[in-house]
Amino acid sequence: MAKRTPLYNKHLELHARMTEFAGFEMPLEYSGIIDEHLNVRNNVGIFDVSHMGDIIVQGKDTEKFLDYFLPTKFSSLQEKQAKYSSYLNEQGIMLDDTIVYKVNNEKALLIPNASTATMIYNWIVEKSKNFNIKIIDRTLLYSSIAVQGPKSVNVMKKITDYDYTKMGSFTFDFISLKDIETRDDDFLPYNKIMVSRTGYTGEDGFELIFSNEYAEDIWDILMREGKEFNLKPAGLGARDTLRMEKGMLLSGQDFHMDKSPIEASISWIIDWDHDFIGKEALLKIKDNYQKIFRGFIMIDNGIPRHGYKIYKNGNEVGYITSGTMSPVLKKGIGLGYIDKNLKIGDTVEISIREKLLKANVCKPKILR
Amino acid sequence: MEIDNRMLYSQTHEWVLVEGKNAKVGVSDYAQKQLTDIVYVELPAVGTHLTKGKSFGVIESVKAVEDIYAPISGKVINRNQQVMDKPEMINNEPYNAWLIEIEIENPEELKELMNPEDYKIFLDTEGGRW
Repeated sequence: MAKRTPLYNKHLELHARMTEFAGFEMPLEYSGIIDEHLNVRNNVGIFDVSHMGDIIVQGKDTEKFLDYFLPTKFSSLQEKQAKYSSYLNEQGIMLDDTIVYKVNNEKALLIPNASTATMIYNWIVEKSKNFNIKIIDRTLLYSSIAVQGPKSVNVMKKITDYDYTKMGSFTFDFISLKDIETRDDDFLPYNKIMVSRTGYTGEDGFELIFSNEYAEDIWDILMREGKEFNLKPAGLGARDTLRMEKGMLLSGQDFHMDKSPIEASISWIIDWDHDFIGKEALLKIKDNYQKIFRGFIMIDNGIPRHGYKIYKNGNEVGYITSGTMSPVLKKGIGLGYIDKNLKIGDTVEISIREKLLKANVCKPKILR
Repeated sequence: MEIDNRMLYSQTHEWVLVEGKNAKVGVSDYAQKQLTDIVYVELPAVGTHLTKGKSFGVIESVKAVEDIYAPISGKVINRNQQVMDKPEMINNEPYNAWLIEIEIENPEELKELMNPEDYKIFLDTEGGRW
């Protein structure tokens, strides 16, 4: 039996088409994937992302542990700064990607993906035995809603009293809602929810984290106050096409216990000036990897899909891991891995139902 | 879910509209809803011979690729260029957005398709392939 988020009944009220994802019954679409996609690019959309993991790490050794545990140098982050990162094993392979939020030197929040949250929790427990920290899994007690799009800040200004010029990209704060008084717990202060300027759409946007009991009320407030900005709910379908246009990795699809951050084109998450799990392996991979993550824009008429092979001059040079018809470009786009000696701008051929169709290689961030 | 009373239906959610010796083929409202936003259609060339039950083309949505299966056998005598240019027509008006026209080879095969009442029961009970 699939799990449901506290917003399940809201999705049904809105006549969402539901689908199972990572063990949760989630909305796939409401008004239509393309409509929701374009509304996030042009206005603002809200997503139920309560299925994502919420793992709190706190205690004296928080800095020491996370510095060792993540390729990101946690100790060099500012308070209330967030950073995209990854959980590596000793072989330098990504178990999952994540955002790490630094509350202070002794407290952090990790947001792994829904499908891997339990595995990552166990991985943290295993690796933290010799550290003085406490790990609290709030995945099933916290909900979260992503407010995404160029008008998301207008909506946030309406529902909170806060100066958002002070909240840069990948920072966060604990903020009061105008309409609801929220209780405190050992992570969220009294009358505050967590708001970060982060997201998975490539647009300006926010992610709100709070206790489950407030989920329906906060959803309703967003729907009501967002109306004048044409806010609409958006489902997992649009979430997927939005992240593809911006070249953001999907854990389990673009990498699945088989890639290092170097091959996945996110070397920038690695801070080489500290020791961390997988560092030695990464130093070897750095000079010896074969394939790298890239974007593809179709020249011919066709849509790349997961598993399709890529050719250059008759030789197989790679494979697609994600693909769709870009709602913005109205062209087939793909993400995948190709031989690292191929360059941005090169033309390759993608095998689509036994036909070789031309595509241009580009950076993963397809939509600039 | 709309079911057009003029058509016969296959278990893979294609519809057949018989017009004399020929028949038009499309996909049902149920099928288009399951597919989500349709963005690409690949259809066989005029003159291609289709065999009942075999895939004759694909419909792609933003999210997935699905085969379309020949509900009856016969030669393709026409394909709908308008739908190939504007695949969203299938979402907007599934029963007008015919895909191909076939010369009916064996009228007996039509008897194996479902009438609208039976298709409705089929949707309510067995559901779909997606």
